[in-house]
Amino acid sequence: MSCPKTQHLLTEYFADDLAAVLKDEIQSHLSACQDCSDELESVLNTQAHLSSWQDQKVPHWDRGLSLFRDEHGVPKIARSFFSGWQWLPTASSFAMLCVLLLNVNFISDDKGMSISFGGQASSSTNTVAEIEARLEAFEKDQDQQMQIFLARMDDRQDSNNLRLIQAVTDRSEKATAVSMETLYRFMEEQRQVDMLNVQLSYEQLMDSDYDTNQSLQQLASYVSFQGETR
Amino acid sequence: MSFLNEDEALIAAALNGSAYAWEKLVKRYEGRLYNYGLRLTGNASDAMDLLQEVFLGVYRNLHRFRGDAKFSSWLFRIAHNKAVDMNRRKRLMSTKSDSIDQDENGQIQLVDEDLRNRPEAKLLTKQQNNQILNMLESLPLQQRLIVELKFYQSQTFEEIAQGQGISTNTAKTRYYSALKKLKSESEKKHVLS
Repeated sequence: MSCPKTQHLLTEYFADDLAAVLKDEIQSHLSACQDCSDELESVLNTQAHLSSWQDQKVPHWDRGLSLFRDEHGVPKIARSFFSGWQWLPTASSFAMLCVLLLNVNFISDDKGMSISFGGQASSSTNTVAEIEARLEAFEKDQDQQMQIFLARMDDRQDSNNLRLIQAVTDRSEKATAVSMETLYRFMEEQRQVDMLNVQLSYEQLMDSDYDTNQSLQQLASYVSFQGETR
Repeated sequence: MSFLNEDEALIAAALNGSAYAWEKLVKRYEGRLYNYGLRLTGNASDAMDLLQEVFLGVYRNLHRFRGDAKFSSWLFRIAHNKAVDMNRRKRLMSTKSDSIDQDENGQIQLVDEDLRNRPEAKLLTKQQNNQILNMLESLPLQQRLIVELKFYQSQTFEEIAQGQGISTNTAKTRYYSALKKLKSESEKKHVLS
Protein backbone atom coordinates (compact mmCIF):
# COMPACT_ATOMS: atom_id res chain seq x y z
CA MET A 1 0.00 0.00 0.00
CA SER A 2 1.74 3.06 -1.18
CA CYS A 3 -1.09 5.51 -1.84
CA PRO A 4 -1.04 8.28 0.80
CA LYS A 5 -4.78 8.85 0.43
CA THR A 6 -5.92 5.34 1.39
CA GLN A 7 -6.27 5.88 5.15
CA HIS A 8 -8.31 9.07 4.89
CA LEU A 9 -10.29 7.87 1.88
CA LEU A 10 -11.38 4.55 3.33
CA THR A 11 -12.15 6.07 6.73
CA GLU A 12 -14.59 8.37 4.98
CA TYR A 13 -15.87 5.55 2.77
CA PHE A 14 -17.60 3.95 5.80
CA ALA A 15 -19.16 7.22 7.00
CA ASP A 16 -22.96 7.22 7.37
CA ASP A 17 -23.79 10.55 5.83
CA LEU A 18 -21.33 10.88 3.02
CA ALA A 19 -22.00 13.88 0.80
CA ALA A 20 -22.72 13.02 -2.81
CA VAL A 21 -19.78 15.11 -4.00
CA LEU A 22 -17.40 13.33 -1.67
CA LYS A 23 -18.81 9.97 -2.67
CA ASP A 24 -18.16 10.69 -6.34
CA GLU A 25 -14.67 11.85 -5.52
CA ILE A 26 -13.89 8.65 -3.64
CA GLN A 27 -15.35 6.50 -6.40
CA SER A 28 -13.31 8.24 -9.07
CA HIS A 29 -10.14 7.83 -7.02
CA LEU A 30 -10.90 4.16 -6.38
CA SER A 31 -11.39 3.50 -10.06
CA ALA A 32 -8.07 5.14 -10.76
CA CYS A 33 -5.98 3.86 -7.81
CA GLN A 34 -5.32 0.14 -7.69
CA ASP A 35 -3.80 0.27 -4.18
CA CYS A 36 -6.88 1.88 -2.70
CA SER A 37 -9.35 -0.38 -4.54
CA ASP A 38 -7.40 -3.49 -3.45
CA GLU A 39 -7.37 -2.30 0.14
CA LEU A 40 -11.10 -1.55 0.02
CA GLU A 41 -11.85 -4.98 -1.40
CA SER A 42 -9.95 -6.81 1.32
CA VAL A 43 -11.53 -4.66 4.06
CA LEU A 44 -14.98 -5.34 2.60
CA ASN A 45 -14.16 -9.05 2.58
CA THR A 46 -13.26 -8.85 6.23
CA GLN A 47 -16.57 -7.12 6.91
CA ALA A 48 -18.38 -9.84 4.97
CA HIS A 49 -16.60 -12.42 7.07
CA LEU A 50 -17.85 -10.70 10.22
CA SER A 51 -21.40 -10.90 8.88
CA SER A 52 -21.21 -14.70 8.82
CA TRP A 53 -21.74 -14.65 12.57
CA GLN A 54 -24.70 -16.85 13.53
CA ASP A 55 -26.54 -15.84 16.65
CA GLN A 56 -26.17 -18.45 19.34
CA LYS A 57 -28.88 -19.66 21.63
CA VAL A 58 -28.73 -18.40 25.19
CA PRO A 59 -28.02 -21.25 27.61
CA HIS A 60 -30.75 -21.89 30.13
CA TRP A 61 -30.81 -19.49 33.06
CA ASP A 62 -33.49 -18.38 35.50
CA ARG A 63 -33.68 -14.80 34.14
CA GLY A 64 -33.43 -13.40 37.64
CA LEU A 65 -36.95 -14.66 38.35
CA SER A 66 -36.14 -16.10 41.77
CA LEU A 67 -34.71 -12.74 42.84
CA PHE A 68 -37.68 -10.92 41.34
CA ARG A 69 -40.16 -13.19 43.13
CA ASP A 70 -38.28 -12.94 46.42
CA GLU A 71 -38.25 -9.17 46.35
CA HIS A 72 -41.79 -8.72 45.14
CA GLY A 73 -43.19 -11.32 47.49
CA VAL A 74 -44.86 -13.27 44.71
CA PRO A 75 -46.16 -16.40 46.38
CA LYS A 76 -45.24 -19.72 44.86
CA ILE A 77 -48.27 -21.36 43.32
CA ALA A 78 -49.63 -23.98 45.69
CA ARG A 79 -49.87 -27.33 43.97
CA SER A 80 -52.86 -29.06 45.40
CA PHE A 81 -54.40 -32.32 44.20
CA PHE A 82 -56.96 -30.56 42.05
CA SER A 83 -54.72 -27.84 40.68
CA GLY A 84 -53.76 -30.10 37.81
CA TRP A 85 -57.42 -30.44 36.89
CA GLN A 86 -58.16 -26.75 36.50
CA TRP A 87 -58.40 -27.18 32.77
CA LEU A 88 -61.34 -29.55 33.18
CA PRO A 89 -64.19 -26.99 33.60
CA THR A 90 -62.87 -24.96 30.69
CA ALA A 91 -62.53 -28.06 28.54
CA SER A 92 -66.03 -29.26 29.35
CA SER A 93 -67.49 -25.80 28.67
CA PHE A 94 -65.68 -25.76 25.36
CA ALA A 95 -66.98 -29.22 24.48
CA MET A 96 -70.54 -28.16 25.28
CA LEU A 97 -70.11 -25.00 23.24
CA CYS A 98 -68.90 -27.11 20.32
CA VAL A 99 -71.94 -29.37 20.65
CA LEU A 100 -74.19 -26.31 20.58
CA LEU A 101 -72.44 -24.49 17.77
CA LEU A 102 -72.01 -27.50 15.51
CA ASN A 103 -75.60 -28.62 16.13
CA VAL A 104 -74.46 -32.12 16.96
CA ASN A 105 -77.08 -34.92 16.83
CA PHE A 106 -76.61 -38.10 18.77
CA ILE A 107 -78.97 -40.78 17.48
CA SER A 108 -79.20 -44.15 19.13
CA ASP A 109 -81.59 -46.68 17.57
CA ASP A 110 -81.80 -50.37 16.71
CA LYS A 111 -79.04 -50.04 14.09
CA GLY A 112 -76.64 -48.60 16.58
CA MET A 113 -75.44 -45.13 17.45
CA SER A 114 -74.64 -42.29 15.07
CA ILE A 115 -73.33 -38.77 15.49
CA SER A 116 -73.98 -36.07 12.92
CA PHE A 117 -73.07 -32.42 12.70
CA GLY A 118 -75.17 -29.53 11.49
CA GLY A 119 -78.59 -31.19 11.23
CA GLN A 120 -80.27 -34.54 10.78
CA ALA A 121 -78.36 -37.79 10.78
CA SER A 122 -77.03 -38.80 7.39
CA SER A 123 -78.98 -42.08 7.51
CA SER A 124 -82.33 -40.29 7.12
CA THR A 125 -82.63 -39.69 3.39
CA ASN A 126 -86.33 -39.29 2.85
CA THR A 127 -86.79 -37.01 5.81
CA VAL A 128 -90.39 -35.77 5.44
CA ALA A 129 -91.83 -39.20 4.78
CA GLU A 130 -89.86 -40.68 7.59
CA ILE A 131 -91.00 -37.99 9.98
CA GLU A 132 -94.65 -38.60 8.98
CA ALA A 133 -94.26 -42.34 9.38
CA ARG A 134 -92.67 -41.87 12.73
CA LEU A 135 -95.41 -39.48 13.76
CA GLU A 136 -98.07 -42.00 12.74
CA ALA A 137 -96.32 -44.77 14.59
CA PHE A 138 -96.01 -42.52 17.57
CA GLU A 139 -99.72 -41.67 17.48
CA LYS A 140 -100.64 -45.33 17.18
CA ASP A 141 -98.40 -46.20 20.00
CA GLN A 142 -99.88 -43.42 22.09
CA ASP A 143 -103.39 -44.63 21.27
CA GLN A 144 -102.54 -48.17 22.31
CA GLN A 145 -101.01 -47.00 25.45
CA MET A 146 -104.09 -44.88 26.18
CA GLN A 147 -106.33 -47.91 25.67
CA ILE A 148 -104.19 -50.01 27.96
CA PHE A 149 -104.26 -47.27 30.49
CA LEU A 150 -108.04 -46.92 30.31
CA ALA A 151 -108.49 -50.68 30.68
CA ARG A 152 -106.25 -50.67 33.66
CA MET A 153 -108.17 -47.76 35.12
CA ASP A 154 -111.45 -49.69 34.68
CA ASP A 155 -110.00 -52.73 36.34
CA ARG A 156 -108.78 -50.70 39.18
CA GLN A 157 -112.16 -49.00 39.57
CA ASP A 158 -113.92 -52.40 39.69
CA SER A 159 -111.55 -53.80 42.19
CA ASN A 160 -112.00 -50.68 44.28
CA ASN A 161 -115.77 -51.08 44.27
CA LEU A 162 -115.49 -54.72 45.19
CA ARG A 163 -113.19 -53.90 48.01
CA LEU A 164 -115.61 -51.21 49.24
CA ILE A 165 -118.54 -53.59 49.24
CA GLN A 166 -116.53 -56.23 50.99
CA ALA A 167 -115.44 -53.69 53.57
CA VAL A 168 -119.06 -52.61 54.14
CA THR A 169 -120.28 -56.21 54.48
CA ASP A 170 -117.42 -57.03 56.72
CA ARG A 171 -118.27 -54.15 58.95
CA SER A 172 -121.98 -55.04 59.07
CA GLU A 173 -121.11 -58.65 59.76
CA LYS A 174 -118.85 -57.60 62.48
CA ALA A 175 -121.62 -55.46 63.94
CA THR A 176 -124.03 -58.39 63.91
CA ALA A 177 -121.47 -60.59 65.47
CA VAL A 178 -120.87 -58.07 68.21
CA SER A 179 -124.59 -57.70 68.97
CA MET A 180 -125.06 -61.47 68.93
CA GLU A 181 -122.24 -61.81 71.34
CA THR A 182 -123.75 -59.21 73.63
CA LEU A 183 -127.10 -60.94 73.41
CA TYR A 184 -125.50 -64.26 74.11
CA ARG A 185 -123.65 -62.84 77.07
CA PHE A 186 -126.84 -61.25 78.34
CA MET A 187 -128.76 -64.48 77.97
CA GLU A 188 -125.97 -66.36 79.71
CA GLU A 189 -126.09 -63.89 82.56
CA GLN A 190 -129.83 -64.26 82.76
CA ARG A 191 -129.46 -68.00 82.80
CA GLN A 192 -126.89 -67.80 85.55
CA VAL A 193 -129.11 -65.45 87.56
CA ASP A 194 -132.03 -67.85 87.07
CA MET A 195 -129.95 -70.79 88.09
CA LEU A 196 -128.82 -68.95 91.17
CA ASN A 197 -132.41 -68.11 92.01
CA VAL A 198 -133.42 -71.73 91.54
CA GLN A 199 -130.56 -72.84 93.70
CA LEU A 200 -131.46 -70.36 96.35
CA SER A 201 -135.10 -71.31 96.34
CA TYR A 202 -134.08 -74.90 96.41
CA GLU A 203 -131.88 -74.32 99.37
CA GLN A 204 -134.63 -72.35 101.00
CA LEU A 205 -136.93 -75.19 100.31
CA MET A 206 -134.42 -77.59 101.62
CA ASP A 207 -134.00 -75.43 104.68
CA SER A 208 -137.71 -75.27 105.27
CA ASP A 209 -137.91 -79.04 104.76
CA TYR A 210 -135.18 -79.44 107.29
CA ASP A 211 -137.11 -77.29 109.71
CA THR A 212 -140.21 -79.32 109.12
CA ASN A 213 -138.23 -82.48 109.61
CA GLN A 214 -136.76 -81.18 112.74
CA SER A 215 -140.11 -80.05 114.11
CA LEU A 216 -141.47 -83.40 113.12
CA GLN A 217 -138.62 -85.13 114.88
CA GLN A 218 -139.12 -82.92 117.87
CA LEU A 219 -142.75 -83.71 117.84
CA ALA A 220 -142.02 -87.35 117.47
CA SER A 221 -139.52 -87.33 120.31
CA TYR A 222 -141.91 -85.37 122.41
CA VAL A 223 -144.65 -87.83 121.64
CA SER A 224 -142.40 -90.77 122.34
CA PHE A 225 -141.26 -89.04 125.54
CA GLN A 226 -144.80 -88.54 126.56
CA GLY A 227 -145.56 -92.14 125.78
CA GLU A 228 -142.67 -93.44 127.86
CA THR A 229 -143.58 -91.28 130.76
CA ARG A 230 -146.95 -92.62 130.75
CA MET B 1 -48.88 -1.61 20.31
CA SER B 2 -45.50 -0.75 18.90
CA PHE B 3 -42.33 -2.50 19.94
CA LEU B 4 -41.11 0.46 22.00
CA ASN B 5 -44.42 1.02 23.74
CA GLU B 6 -44.54 -2.66 24.52
CA ASP B 7 -41.16 -2.33 26.22
CA GLU B 8 -42.48 0.50 28.34
CA ALA B 9 -45.64 -1.44 29.18
CA LEU B 10 -43.54 -4.43 30.22
CA ILE B 11 -41.32 -2.23 32.38
CA ALA B 12 -44.36 -0.67 34.06
CA ALA B 13 -45.86 -4.10 34.70
CA ALA B 14 -42.55 -5.43 36.04
CA LEU B 15 -42.30 -2.45 38.39
CA ASN B 16 -45.77 -3.35 39.63
CA GLY B 17 -44.46 -6.80 40.50
CA SER B 18 -45.38 -8.84 37.44
CA ALA B 19 -42.82 -11.62 37.14
CA TYR B 20 -44.32 -12.56 33.79
CA ALA B 21 -43.63 -9.07 32.38
CA TRP B 22 -40.08 -9.15 33.69
CA GLU B 23 -39.44 -12.53 32.10
CA LYS B 24 -40.87 -11.34 28.80
CA LEU B 25 -38.67 -8.26 28.88
CA VAL B 26 -35.58 -10.36 29.58
CA LYS B 27 -36.48 -12.89 26.90
CA ARG B 28 -36.84 -10.10 24.38
CA TYR B 29 -33.26 -8.91 24.77
CA GLU B 30 -31.29 -11.82 26.19
CA GLY B 31 -30.39 -13.25 22.77
CA ARG B 32 -28.98 -9.99 21.46
CA LEU B 33 -27.18 -9.32 24.70
CA TYR B 34 -25.71 -12.81 24.97
CA ASN B 35 -24.29 -12.67 21.45
CA TYR B 36 -23.00 -9.18 22.15
CA GLY B 37 -21.25 -10.51 25.24
CA LEU B 38 -19.91 -13.48 23.32
CA ARG B 39 -18.30 -11.29 20.68
CA LEU B 40 -16.99 -8.84 23.24
CA THR B 41 -15.61 -11.25 25.81
CA GLY B 42 -14.78 -14.11 23.45
CA ASN B 43 -16.21 -16.94 25.54
CA ALA B 44 -19.56 -18.30 26.62
CA SER B 45 -19.08 -18.25 30.39
CA ASP B 46 -18.04 -14.59 30.41
CA ALA B 47 -20.91 -13.79 28.06
CA MET B 48 -23.27 -15.49 30.48
CA ASP B 49 -21.77 -13.60 33.43
CA LEU B 50 -22.17 -10.37 31.53
CA LEU B 51 -25.77 -11.21 30.66
CA GLN B 52 -26.60 -11.88 34.29
CA GLU B 53 -24.79 -8.81 35.56
CA VAL B 54 -26.48 -6.57 33.01
CA PHE B 55 -29.96 -7.80 33.83
CA LEU B 56 -29.24 -7.52 37.53
CA GLY B 57 -28.20 -3.90 36.90
CA VAL B 58 -31.33 -3.33 34.83
CA TYR B 59 -33.46 -4.84 37.57
CA ARG B 60 -31.89 -2.67 40.26
CA ASN B 61 -32.28 0.49 38.19
CA LEU B 62 -35.54 -0.22 36.40
CA HIS B 63 -37.37 2.46 38.40
CA ARG B 64 -34.81 4.97 37.17
CA PHE B 65 -35.50 4.22 33.54
CA ARG B 66 -37.16 7.19 31.89
CA GLY B 67 -39.01 6.74 28.63
CA ASP B 68 -37.03 9.50 26.91
CA ALA B 69 -34.51 7.01 25.52
CA LYS B 70 -35.00 3.63 23.95
CA PHE B 71 -34.88 0.77 26.43
CA SER B 72 -32.48 -1.10 24.16
CA SER B 73 -30.03 1.86 24.13
CA TRP B 74 -30.21 2.06 27.89
CA LEU B 75 -29.71 -1.68 28.19
CA PHE B 76 -26.68 -1.72 25.90
CA ARG B 77 -25.19 1.28 27.66
CA ILE B 78 -25.32 -0.72 30.87
CA ALA B 79 -23.92 -3.71 28.99
CA HIS B 80 -21.08 -1.63 27.62
CA ASN B 81 -20.13 -0.34 31.08
CA LYS B 82 -20.25 -3.86 32.48
CA ALA B 83 -18.14 -5.19 29.61
CA VAL B 84 -15.49 -2.52 30.22
CA ASP B 85 -15.55 -3.34 33.95
CA MET B 86 -15.26 -7.02 33.25
CA ASN B 87 -12.35 -6.48 30.87
CA ARG B 88 -10.56 -4.38 33.50
CA ARG B 89 -11.10 -7.02 36.16
CA LYS B 90 -9.81 -9.74 33.88
CA ARG B 91 -6.69 -7.74 33.05
CA LEU B 92 -6.06 -7.19 36.75
CA MET B 93 -6.53 -10.84 37.58
CA SER B 94 -4.31 -12.25 34.85
CA THR B 95 -1.64 -10.57 32.84
CA LYS B 96 -1.79 -12.89 29.91
CA SER B 97 -4.80 -13.55 27.76
CA ASP B 98 -5.29 -17.12 28.94
CA SER B 99 -8.75 -16.32 30.28
CA ILE B 100 -10.09 -17.51 26.98
CA ASP B 101 -10.21 -21.25 26.81
CA GLN B 102 -8.12 -22.23 23.87
CA ASP B 103 -7.27 -25.70 22.68
CA GLU B 104 -3.93 -26.75 21.18
CA ASN B 105 -4.89 -25.28 17.81
CA GLY B 106 -5.54 -21.91 19.34
CA GLN B 107 -9.28 -22.25 18.73
CA ILE B 108 -11.50 -20.56 21.23
CA GLN B 109 -13.69 -23.09 22.96
CA LEU B 110 -17.23 -22.04 23.51
CA VAL B 111 -18.16 -23.40 26.88
CA ASP B 112 -21.71 -23.85 25.73
CA GLU B 113 -22.38 -27.55 26.28
CA ASP B 114 -25.59 -27.31 24.35
CA LEU B 115 -23.69 -26.05 21.35
CA ARG B 116 -21.08 -28.79 21.65
CA ASN B 117 -23.75 -31.44 21.61
CA ARG B 118 -25.40 -30.15 18.49
CA PRO B 119 -25.37 -32.29 15.35
CA GLU B 120 -22.79 -32.03 12.59
CA ALA B 121 -24.84 -29.54 10.61
CA LYS B 122 -24.26 -26.94 13.31
CA LEU B 123 -20.55 -27.53 13.38
CA LEU B 124 -19.95 -25.12 10.54
CA THR B 125 -21.73 -22.34 12.41
CA LYS B 126 -19.59 -23.01 15.44
CA GLN B 127 -16.40 -22.96 13.39
CA GLN B 128 -17.40 -19.72 11.69
CA ASN B 129 -18.26 -18.10 15.01
CA ASN B 130 -14.99 -19.34 16.50
CA GLN B 131 -13.06 -17.79 13.63
CA ILE B 132 -14.80 -14.47 14.14
CA LEU B 133 -14.17 -14.63 17.88
CA ASN B 134 -10.49 -15.32 17.20
CA MET B 135 -10.29 -12.35 14.92
CA LEU B 136 -12.12 -10.04 17.32
CA GLU B 137 -9.89 -11.22 20.13
CA SER B 138 -6.94 -9.61 18.38
CA LEU B 139 -8.53 -6.16 18.74
CA PRO B 140 -8.22 -3.95 21.79
CA LEU B 141 -11.51 -3.54 23.65
CA GLN B 142 -12.16 -0.05 22.36
CA GLN B 143 -11.91 -1.16 18.73
CA ARG B 144 -13.86 -4.32 19.41
CA LEU B 145 -16.64 -2.19 20.87
CA ILE B 146 -16.71 0.06 17.82
CA VAL B 147 -16.99 -2.97 15.52
CA GLU B 148 -19.73 -4.38 17.73
CA LEU B 149 -21.73 -1.17 17.79
CA LYS B 150 -21.20 -0.19 14.16
CA PHE B 151 -21.38 -3.55 12.49
CA TYR B 152 -23.50 -5.79 14.73
CA GLN B 153 -25.70 -3.17 16.41
CA SER B 154 -25.97 -1.02 13.26
CA GLN B 155 -25.41 2.22 15.14
CA THR B 156 -24.35 5.39 13.35
CA PHE B 157 -20.95 6.91 14.08
CA GLU B 158 -22.74 9.81 15.66
CA GLU B 159 -24.59 7.52 18.08
CA ILE B 160 -21.38 5.66 18.86
CA ALA B 161 -19.54 8.93 19.43
CA GLN B 162 -22.25 10.10 21.84
CA GLY B 163 -22.32 6.83 23.70
CA GLN B 164 -18.55 6.53 24.00
CA GLY B 165 -17.86 10.18 24.65
CA ILE B 166 -15.60 10.52 21.62
CA SER B 167 -15.77 12.51 18.41
CA THR B 168 -17.40 11.15 15.28
CA ASN B 169 -14.09 11.28 13.46
CA THR B 170 -12.38 9.23 16.17
CA ALA B 171 -15.20 6.68 15.91
CA LYS B 172 -14.76 6.49 12.13
CA THR B 173 -10.99 6.19 12.41
CA ARG B 174 -11.26 3.50 15.05
CA TYR B 175 -13.67 1.53 12.92
CA TYR B 176 -11.41 1.60 9.90
CA SER B 177 -8.36 0.75 12.03
CA ALA B 178 -10.28 -2.18 13.49
CA LEU B 179 -11.20 -3.45 10.04
CA LYS B 180 -7.58 -3.13 8.93
CA LYS B 181 -6.41 -5.08 11.95
CA LEU B 182 -9.04 -7.76 11.38
CA LYS B 183 -8.02 -7.98 7.76
CA SER B 184 -4.38 -8.52 8.65
CA GLU B 185 -5.34 -11.12 11.27
CA SER B 186 -7.44 -12.99 8.76
CA GLU B 187 -4.57 -12.83 6.22
CA LYS B 188 -2.21 -14.15 8.90
CA LYS B 189 -4.56 -17.08 9.55
CA HIS B 190 -4.79 -17.84 5.83
CA VAL B 191 -1.01 -17.82 5.52
CA LEU B 192 -0.70 -20.14 8.54
CA SER B 193 -3.33 -22.52 7.26
